Amino acid sequence: MEKVCVLGAGSTKYGKLADSIADITTQSSVSAIESAGIDPKEIKASYISNVFGVADKQVHIGPVLMSRLGISDKPSLTIESACGSGSVSFREAYANVAAGFYDCLLVTGVEKVTHTGTEWTTTYFAYCSDFFYEGQAGASFPGLFASMARAYLTEFDATEEDFAAVAVKNHDNGVLNPKAHMQKKITVDDVMNSAVVASPLKLYDCCPFSDGASSVILCSEKFAKEHGGDYVEVIGSGRGGSPAALQGRDHMTTIPSTKLAAADAYKMAGVTAKDIDFAEVHDCFTIAEVVDTEDLGFFEKGQGIQAVREGRTKLNSDISINPSGGLKSKGHPIGATGVGQVVEVYDQLTGNAGERTVKDAKIGLTHNFGATGASCAVHVFQSV
Amino acid sequence: MSVEEQMIENAKEGKVLTHKCTSCGHLHLSTVYYCQKCGSKGFEDAILEGTGSIATYTIITVPPAGFEKYTPYAFAVLQLDNAELRISGFMGGIATPDDLPVGTRAKITGFDQRGIIIEKQ
Repeated sequence: MEKVCVLGAGSTKYGKLADSIADITTQSSVSAIESAGIDPKEIKASYISNVFGVADKQVHIGPVLMSRLGISDKPSLTIESACGSGSVSFREAYANVAAGFYDCLLVTGVEKVTHTGTEWTTTYFAYCSDFFYEGQAGASFPGLFASMARAYLTEFDATEEDFAAVAVKNHDNGVLNPKAHMQKKITVDDVMNSAVVASPLKLYDCCPFSDGASSVILCSEKFAKEHGGDYVEVIGSGRGGSPAALQGRDHMTTIPSTKLAAADAYKMAGVTAKDIDFAEVHDCFTIAEVVDTEDLGFFEKGQGIQAVREGRTKLNSDISINPSGGLKSKGHPIGATGVGQVVEVYDQLTGNAGERTVKDAKIGLTHNFGATGASCAVHVFQSV
Repeated sequence: MSVEEQMIENAKEGKVLTHKCTSCGHLHLSTVYYCQKCGSKGFEDAILEGTGSIATYTIITVPPAGFEKYTPYAFAVLQLDNAELRISGFMGGIATPDDLPVGTRAKITGFDQRGIIIEKQ
């Protein structure tokens, strides 16, 4: 297999964006191309992740992007895997470069939904569940994660205030990220006093619906060296699956696909959880970050909440979790999120993360899943 | 009848249609076509009582379209009696966590536009 590198990365700001989905897809892609210092004509194909293009009247967005980049002759593929779409398209691009099919690919994730309003997004996002059993019975996505939170509160020594501390920590990081959707500090009281969305989760336990696009240039090591810019190496890539509905899982406080994806990625990288300096994990809801940090092996089952309480996941503590602000504060444009995590890792490992820099970081991890973790991808990166 | 229609007809009778693997005995909801444990496609139907206890749940106050008039309501996962199987559904009339402690006895009572209906026993 070829060694695979990230040669450039870029994002639009995440938030409520005025420009069209085609515009933000292109803006983000151009920023990654310029970051990589390549000519668009060197791109052999693109992998686009997007879930609700229909909301902005544009599906099949790949050829639109390629046309705007002046490479309409190059192929593209659009990938949907719910909130995990970005990491899945990254993985498919990774596999194609590793296999030697292509030496340089563009990976762009995008979502544009905020103009549709809360009812539309709540309704359509629920279509990512196992609809017959969950969405049809009125389960929203906050509701499904709230069901996991209820199970966690029942099984372990945890409180709703502990979950709130995850949101506070991620907002602290997001304030340092100029591209974050929610750039404001919050307190545990703010979370506890915010409106209940799906008990026990409150508004500030939930990530926002966001617009945004993120892009990376993925290439072979040979291509990266020839181009001379900053790059990081992808040293591990893993995927996994879980029963689509929560009811199919023996335990409601763990996500099987995360464990499977992490095991594969760690094995390929030749590392363990202890070697990870920082991680961008899928914190669509505060409970999710706690579960993720346990499933990724950073903490024992049931201890993730204690780690939060002790501040061990803050920036430049034991392990910096979501230095970007995570989905909670940076925002969650669902098709873009998995790619945006790679952008953060690239910025961190190439010294471009500004005030939120994880000191002396050499190895970073991304963890992104679809729905309640029915599908998941984990990647491990190393500075060169 | 499709597998979903069969599941619905049984739910309307308060029952859960399951597939028991004829090779290894593993039990699945009847929407499963191949055994998760051994890969076999041989199943026999087993109809279970839709009774059990609440494994976990949430009370939804920001609903998807169509559920506004039922809000607040619970979405719950029911651990079925005498089987390693869970099934989820809609529970009306639940407003606070005090209304539905985990472990509460509950049963399937029907199926309508709100999916599988679960009520407290």
